[in-house]
Amino acid sequence: MSDKPTLWQTLLSVLSSFFGVQSERNRERDFHGGHPVHYILTGLLMAALFVIAVILLVRWALSLAGA
Amino acid sequence: MVRITTITIGSGLGLALFAASAQAEWTVNLTPGVTDVSRSVFDLHMTIFWICVAIALVVFGVMFWSIFHHRKSRGAEAHNFHENTVVEVIWTIIPLLILVGMAVPATATLVKMYDSSEAELDVQITGFQWKWRYDYLDHNLDFFSNLSTPREQISNEADKQEHYLLEVDRHLVLPVDTKIRFLLTSNDVIHSWWVPALAVKKDAIPGFINEAWTVIDEPGIYRGQCAELCGQDHGFMPIVIEAVSRDDFQQWLADARADKQRVTAAAERTWTLDELMQQGEQVYLRACAACHLPTGEGVPGAFPALKGSAIATGEVAAHIDIVLNGKSGTAMQAFRDQLSASELAAVITYERNAWGNSLGEAVSPAQISRLLEPTTGEAEQ
Ligand code: HEC
Ligand SMILES: [Cu+2]
Repeated sequence: MSDKPTLWQTLLSVLSSFFGVQSERNRERDFHGGHPVHYILTGLLMAALFVIAVILLVRWALSLAGA
Repeated sequence: MVRITTITIGSGLGLALFAASAQAEWTVNLTPGVTDVSRSVFDLHMTIFWICVAIALVVFGVMFWSIFHHRKSRGAEAHNFHENTVVEVIWTIIPLLILVGMAVPATATLVKMYDSSEAELDVQITGFQWKWRYDYLDHNLDFFSNLSTPREQISNEADKQEHYLLEVDRHLVLPVDTKIRFLLTSNDVIHSWWVPALAVKKDAIPGFINEAWTVIDEPGIYRGQCAELCGQDHGFMPIVIEAVSRDDFQQWLADARADKQRVTAAAERTWTLDELMQQGEQVYLRACAACHLPTGEGVPGAFPALKGSAIATGEVAAHIDIVLNGKSGTAMQAFRDQLSASELAAVITYERNAWGNSLGEAVSPAQISRLLEPTTGEAEQ
């Protein structure tokens, strides 16, 4: 259990924090083996991607409306 | 126990049914309105309303059923556990899907509401404390629309009529089947121009121009109000739209413009003191009595008495000045753009010769006309 989470696992944990649901097992793994800086950096990156995704979504919706 | 529950639920349902049948009479619900956009807004409202009803039925249904089914007297025992990721994921995804499902039609309606392009008629709407001014931009026509409910009804000295506080002296006349763009702004504080039947509600903000648009389907009278608290008489600046056929609208425009010319011409001729007093009283009751009172006695501490006032019985120049230009920082506004030259002359003459003020002199419309010329339009944005 005290293994370091992989990059993929870190990413999944950040995504589940965006979603608001995380299993107890993953939480313990993150808190024992993980490093806060990894989560913060991944979090910032994902937040930026999220904003870009929203902008693209709005552009797409407006282009559908012919604006 | 069971019986009591059944009766309670039964009467609750009965009440709900009663409320539904009474709804039409009370018109508690949103109006479907008379435009394409207002109908989309209404449909959106009903869709979301029924989604909420469905959610409530499912959630409370499951809740009541489990409370009832797993009651202690049946020997039910609590199942102790902490977290269940699968259930948590499900109850997060379902609301997400519902929200996205509502966002799609809502976005479509919003996009439609904001598309004010290709309008045939532009009307500028300016909020004032406490009246609206309508400017038919390409037709050289503008006028104020004032509350016309008589003071006696407001102060409970007369019975209130059907359109109490929802009636004005000049309607905003608009053609049906025409895309009309509204350009909203304000002369003083923030107002909001709201007509439910058109599903238009837009802030009128000083220094900004907001846009809205409509295409009215049916001729008729549609009433609205200011929807942004804007001071003492916020509830006294209603909106009345008169939608007419396109032909009638052209006719109305021509008549209104001819009227405007007649008013301008009226300033040129000579008026008798009697004429001025008669017209002056009407103007006074409409434009000044809200603050200075019909008796000219004012409200001590707020609005000065004009009866026996130093200005209204003193130098005529000072009197004309305060009525034309107002006094900045006080509720006394500039009336130079709100009233015509003859109305101004009449109301000043009236104030100098009513309620025991007896100067016996008339202020002539021509005299006011000359004062109005240099800076007319200055207060327009
Ligand atoms: C919204 C309220 C309001 C309205 C409407 C209003 N007034 Fe006034 N008026 C005032 C206030 C407040 C003052 C006092 C200003 C000051 O502090 O000197 C005033 C002052 C005056 C004075 C000077 C009185 C004095 O002796 O100091 C005259 C004259 C006057 N108003 C005429 C008019 C006329 C004519 C109209 C209508 C065309 C009118 N007012 C409408 C609020 C109002
Ligand atoms: Cu207002």
